Amino acid sequence: MENSILKSKRTKEVDINKPKLTAKEFKRQWILVVISAVYVIYGVIFYYLPLFGWIIAFQNFIYAKGIGGSKWVGLDKFKFLFKDKKFLMVIRNTFCMGALNLIFSTVMAIVFAILLNEVKNRFFKKSIQTISYLPHFLSWIIVVAIVHDALTSTGIINDLLMRFGILKQPYQYLGDPKLFWGIVVISNLWKETGWNAIIYLAAITSIDPCLYESASIDGAGRFQKMLYVTLPGLRPTIMILLLMNIGNVLNAGFELQYLLGNGLVQNVSRTIDIYVLDWAMDARNMDYSLGTAAGIFKTVVSMSFIVIANYIAKKRGDERLF
Amino acid sequence: MKTKKIVSLVLGSMLAVSSLAACSTGNPGDTTATTGGDTPAVTDGGKQVVDFTMFAAMSGKEKAEGNDIMEIIAEKTGVRVKETWLTGQDAGEAIGSIIASGKLPDLIDGGDGSVTLYQNGLLVAWDPYLEKYPNLKELYSEEEWDKFRMDDGHIYWANVFGNSYNNTATPTGVNGEAFWIQNRVLEWGGYPKIETLDQYFDLLERYAAANPTLPDGTPVIPYTCLCEDWKYFCLENAPMFLDGYPNDGCVIVNIDAGMDNPKVVDYNTTDTAKMYFKKLNEEYAKGAIDPDFATQTYDEYIAKLSTGRVLGLCDQYWDFAYNIMGPFASPLTAEDGSTFRLDEIGCDYVPLGLTAKAGMAQQWNSYGDELNQSSGCAVTTSCKDPDLAFEFLSRLLDQDIHNLRFWGIEGEDYLVDENGLFYRTEEMRENWKSDSFKAKHTCEYSYCPQWQGMSRDGINRMMPGEQPSEFILSLAAPLQKTFEAYGVGTYTDFLGSAKVQTGPWYPLWSWSNNLSSDTAGGVAWKDMGEVKHYWLPTVVMSSDFEGDWANYMDAYNAVNPQAFLSEAQAEVDARLATAKSFGWTAPTN
Repeated sequence: MENSILKSKRTKEVDINKPKLTAKEFKRQWILVVISAVYVIYGVIFYYLPLFGWIIAFQNFIYAKGIGGSKWVGLDKFKFLFKDKKFLMVIRNTFCMGALNLIFSTVMAIVFAILLNEVKNRFFKKSIQTISYLPHFLSWIIVVAIVHDALTSTGIINDLLMRFGILKQPYQYLGDPKLFWGIVVISNLWKETGWNAIIYLAAITSIDPCLYESASIDGAGRFQKMLYVTLPGLRPTIMILLLMNIGNVLNAGFELQYLLGNGLVQNVSRTIDIYVLDWAMDARNMDYSLGTAAGIFKTVVSMSFIVIANYIAKKRGDERLF
Repeated sequence: MKTKKIVSLVLGSMLAVSSLAACSTGNPGDTTATTGGDTPAVTDGGKQVVDFTMFAAMSGKEKAEGNDIMEIIAEKTGVRVKETWLTGQDAGEAIGSIIASGKLPDLIDGGDGSVTLYQNGLLVAWDPYLEKYPNLKELYSEEEWDKFRMDDGHIYWANVFGNSYNNTATPTGVNGEAFWIQNRVLEWGGYPKIETLDQYFDLLERYAAANPTLPDGTPVIPYTCLCEDWKYFCLENAPMFLDGYPNDGCVIVNIDAGMDNPKVVDYNTTDTAKMYFKKLNEEYAKGAIDPDFATQTYDEYIAKLSTGRVLGLCDQYWDFAYNIMGPFASPLTAEDGSTFRLDEIGCDYVPLGLTAKAGMAQQWNSYGDELNQSSGCAVTTSCKDPDLAFEFLSRLLDQDIHNLRFWGIEGEDYLVDENGLFYRTEEMRENWKSDSFKAKHTCEYSYCPQWQGMSRDGINRMMPGEQPSEFILSLAAPLQKTFEAYGVGTYTDFLGSAKVQTGPWYPLWSWSNNLSSDTAGGVAWKDMGEVKHYWLPTVVMSSDFEGDWANYMDAYNAVNPQAFLSEAQAEVDARLATAKSFGWTAPTN
């Protein structure tokens, strides 16, 4: 933390570590320039050139006529979007599910990593770690099939609750709009917690053991060491990951909600991505322009989230992205 | 140092190039996979065979590599077609992504996405080829072909189903909708006459109470109902049939004022609709309806039916029957260790034409050919040799190849008696029920042009399922017994729909299926669907039916169904006017 404050101060003065861009310097580093140029070109071609397609959001785009032949409609598509109650609804759903996912997955991953770190038996620790991150490699369609199966009237959840006498009749979890976001969050946790914890586990190993030793000498117990040594040691990692993930809040998911949704929960299950699919890719609507407009909206909001979060982190003197 | 630098540069660029290549190979690689690339391959006979690809926006089963009959047809026609089907998504989404990716197959049945394919200029017009290949032209009359014409005056596809050779329909099956019931339930009940929902559910409940499990211990479910995505018709359109109307699909067309004065009526708000959902609500409360009906996926639904535990359901035949034939004909182990087969213990479904009141005439089944001009088999602009594609489609209608497709190889899949009548042995019939056998042996090209009815020899039917002698033998013993008990010979007779001439606008779903959101009526149609997807299962599961029904009606009326109904009325009037211009007159009786 101390370090980063120093750094930010120093950038205002002349940075002696940063060489000037001269022909000589360029020649000296030509090999690095060539290597990085390949990636810059790659990035331009695959990330920036496609942005050219954004202009169809301002047209009534028809595939057969192409960008050149389609009619320009200005901001009509955006106006339609913000007048469409369903779009406002999918924004709410996306944002809420994204935020819930972000909060719970971050907290759970940290707690899991710290707890796992406390396990002393090496074999046990490794097995738990491996088992917990395996679901990450399953595709959503498999996870959804498992979730669906577990939550039907004859599924394991209803079965257990009825055996213990907590429920008299099977409950329709998948048909209850109030439970949908919870099911999404829990499915996400089941699938990703182990994987997300890996990076925190790695960060924990880089904490200086001297800190633990001196904490012990000062009389800190196991729990206090977690609280006063491990957690502060993780702070930079947490901040960076949080910043990166805030940009992903609106990527709350597509497959999970799409596959798990049904008529009864449609008002809480549909996300921006599903809305885009419905309008842009469905042959009965085929409104690429509207889909693109919704996509632009999502990108702009995500960008501003990152910039704002980064600004706050900068103000507070925490780790930040840029 | 220098060599180290060069090595690292080479490695670096290799990495970069390979990651680029990984992205770009997607294109040429995939094109050959999906468009077939028209690569000629040499068969054993030394003849050049062209490989085409075909996508049908329906669920289906892929054929195995080197399928026997596919190879024979390839040798005869010089064309082999690799068929692919929907995998999880619905037709609209699949066609949408095919258009967006620009990777079209050579042949396509776009289902609900057909019009979009045309609007994007991706289909080849049939017109010049119709003159060249009489087999294709023969499929429809001038008037019928005219119905396929798009707004530019050309024909881009031909629907392949429900089309009888020489217009002599000889149906045995019911491909459409009905309340289906396992024939063992009817047998147990002493073969009663079931006409109303009350009688139907009463029998299902009593049977389930007396026979709660199958021989293998699986508990029975008296009734289930699919309501996933567009297949929620299983739940929503029964009121139309219960009132005695045919499957116009989106509305009732009332002809009380004469057939030349049709009037569109909304079946969602009729008294019958309320009565039907109230009945479902009561049955749900009693536990007679599958508690998972509202959230089950199509796959779960089929899995459920395949176990034989569902006694009754409302669905269209094609939507479930083909998928459960295999499992019903496979041996299972009972709790006592013996083996049994679901079709042999009477689990096969028979159709019931229920009505709102007993004694009403019903039109669950419509006789005669049903022309659906909204989708069909088409050739895409990606096809490198459209002439060959049309020649192939035409050759498929030649009697010898048509027989290969649906009857199989003579001597192997069917035999011919001294009168020229085709027949099958028990083993052959069993083979043609087996999914694995069909994958490696049979090749129907089921979404390419085909005929029903009497074949060109005047002795045999185009389809084995319509051959009367074959049909009755293809039924499992308990089903034959049930047919006998009711004194009927076919599913069609069993359902016993009234023989009524349908209006020239029929079926109207061929219009509503393709409705886009460009008009007020189209938007209303989309919204009505969303409202019904939420409210119909809700009212069925509700503990306060009257209250929720009122809420449903409020929500329904709020999305302006009137806009949709007026467009439906306009379409009916337009179709009537077209028919009149071809000399159609209202039947006098």
